[in-house]
Amino acid sequence: MTSFTPTRRTLLKTGTAAAALATFAPAVLRQAAAQDADLSPYKSAKIDWQQTKGETITVAVIPASYFENLIALAPQFKELTGIDVRFEKIPPAQIRQKSVIDLTSKTGTYATHAADPMYYALYAANKWVEPLDTYLNDKSLTDSAWFNVDDIIPAWRSANGINGKLYGMPYDGEVTIQVYRKDLYDAKGLKPADTLEAYVANAAALNAPNDRIWGAALRGVAGAGQNMYIYPSIFREFGGDWMKGGKLTVNGPEAEAALAWYVDVMKKYAPTAAANWNWPDIADAFSQGTVASYIDAHSSASVINNPEKSKVIGKVAYARWPKGPSGKRTTSIWNWGFPINAALPDKKKKATWLFIQWAASAETQARTAHRFAGPTKRAGVNRTSIWKDPDYIKLMNGFGPNFVEATMDALQHDTDVDWRPRVPQWPAIGDTMATAIQSALSGQVTVKAALDEAQRRIEPMMRG
Amino acid sequence: MAPSAIAAAGTGSEAASTDYGDALALRERRFAAALLAPAFLALLATTTFPLMFLIWTSAFRMDLAMPFTNGFVGFENYRVLLSDERFWSSLLVSLVYTGSTVALQVVIGLALALLVMDMKRGQGWFRLIAILPVVLSPAVVGMIWRTFMLAPEFGIVDFLSINAGLGSQNWLGDPVLAMVSVIAIHTWQWTPFAFMVLLASLASLPEDIYEAARLDRASAWQRFRRITLPLLRPAIVMVVIMRTMVALTAFAAIFTVTAGGPGTATEILNLYAYRKSFTELSIGYGAALAVALLIVTIIISGILFALRRAK
Repeated sequence: MTSFTPTRRTLLKTGTAAAALATFAPAVLRQAAAQDADLSPYKSAKIDWQQTKGETITVAVIPASYFENLIALAPQFKELTGIDVRFEKIPPAQIRQKSVIDLTSKTGTYATHAADPMYYALYAANKWVEPLDTYLNDKSLTDSAWFNVDDIIPAWRSANGINGKLYGMPYDGEVTIQVYRKDLYDAKGLKPADTLEAYVANAAALNAPNDRIWGAALRGVAGAGQNMYIYPSIFREFGGDWMKGGKLTVNGPEAEAALAWYVDVMKKYAPTAAANWNWPDIADAFSQGTVASYIDAHSSASVINNPEKSKVIGKVAYARWPKGPSGKRTTSIWNWGFPINAALPDKKKKATWLFIQWAASAETQARTAHRFAGPTKRAGVNRTSIWKDPDYIKLMNGFGPNFVEATMDALQHDTDVDWRPRVPQWPAIGDTMATAIQSALSGQVTVKAALDEAQRRIEPMMRG
Repeated sequence: MAPSAIAAAGTGSEAASTDYGDALALRERRFAAALLAPAFLALLATTTFPLMFLIWTSAFRMDLAMPFTNGFVGFENYRVLLSDERFWSSLLVSLVYTGSTVALQVVIGLALALLVMDMKRGQGWFRLIAILPVVLSPAVVGMIWRTFMLAPEFGIVDFLSINAGLGSQNWLGDPVLAMVSVIAIHTWQWTPFAFMVLLASLASLPEDIYEAARLDRASAWQRFRRITLPLLRPAIVMVVIMRTMVALTAFAAIFTVTAGGPGTATEILNLYAYRKSFTELSIGYGAALAVALLIVTIIISGILFALRRAK
């Protein structure tokens, strides 16, 4: 009679097998799920997707639906390339600092991260990130016909380039446009503003704080990406030039007129609280029906069209930025791009590039946007071709009349690469300007004093 | 304490040969030093070394935006600092913030303690409820005040203000009101600490003195002025010292409520150092600001400790 007596060896074997099973079972399951997805559109690219198989890279993104959709597709990328991607979600307020600390310490923690276009000058000056041209031109790494980089929205590529070299691949972006309550405008026979003057007149006509309706709202909270995201457009529309005579200049008559316009709109026609508002607060107030119009990112349309929260669905329409006294319209150029961390070993850089190429490809862009299975679709795809895709247009037009037209016009005609001063000192300049704008708005100092003080602080920053 | 133990272990060797008792004492000291060493080293690595490194950094120009200008500059950062208006204004904001929050905490805390001392029932409950704000994270407190309490139109404070006929105020958007708000928030959170300490020392005051005073027909005010206050003095000074140090280095609550705004109206020195270092990426100058804050804190606590010893 033989009875089973577990020896040390069999125990170890069973244990190992069990451990292996526990480790790999989720991976196997994930793979099974990923297999459902058709990878042939990617495999038609004439490159070896598997060339850095087995690598692991960490990617820092912000917790936003457009990145969540990408994270949801990561198993497909793993199956295509054999590269493991670990995503780290960092709130937008901290992601810049965290990546700068990682880049300056050269630890290579984040192979790539969602980067602010205003930071490429700083990154390039320190050689913290790699120029992407090398990768784009390498035939073993990129099938240029398949990837078709020229299809990626030119304004965003120019925003992510320094001296003609591309440093970050745009993944998702936005432009600022006018958003207004069509029902209120129609009731008073108003048209969306074509000039900044008309914008003020519209706001004045609809402003009725006693009925809890305010005429307008702009970002008021201080920050390089908050009030200093809206003000530069106004500054440029008033004819301002950041690099007047090659010297960074933030004061002067155009700047004073622009800041005075902003302070005037905010003080007379915006809710008092708007002085501390960022875009989600504006969009919330608008969806509650208390704000008649605002100028902000086109992507905020998804918030004001959220059926669970919004009371204004079907009453919203869109238009381009109003023209300034200089006759110019200037929208924001914003996109989250992916650079390659220069501190990585060569093989990881290649793996990172494969990830970037995958994420920015037309196929992945479509799969995370109108072809995404989940409830939230992206409004900031990076491809001109997708913006012309009838399926995508149909989806986007659900946000309200003129949405796609206003966005496309802004993207094609209203962008301006020198919208904000693109210098390595931007973090300091952005913060100084943000403080100055808020000081003027709060009445702590006059418009002129705020700008002159900012100029005085900025000058030593620019000196070597 | 730590350095003296190490020193004792080091000098013990001469005495070792004299007699058994000394040898034993030496072994004892060595053992004590060995026990102390890990904690001492950890302390050295986590506090002393970073502090030295901070002071070292403050002697450099370290500007991430212009790496080509980096290098040793000696006292240059401090020279710039002394003529930097924003440094002086943030120092002033720090001092106003610290002075007013500490004064309010002590006055309100003492008043509450005196009131609660005479409570016959429910004292335990009162203490329990009063301590709640202290256990909250200042960042959370900041968020709550910013969104629920002070938001114009929607916040509770603004609601009360409207109902009281004062009208809606822009609590965090007006330079003076913003300063008042952050002072109120800090006071709200930390008064319970002063209250608890003062209540404990009030409870330990000898009853017989008061009895004697009453027999001498001392009025309530006289008893408070001549007996309670002098006896409470050590406790009050201790509260003032501890709260001053914390208020001078406060950060989280102001950072979440106003981030130093509007403009620079509530920008305390700590916040300015943070912005210089991590937003503007001028690490060297930011380090100099942090060292300046350290010096200010040391001077002020030195004065307070001297006051405590006096008399």
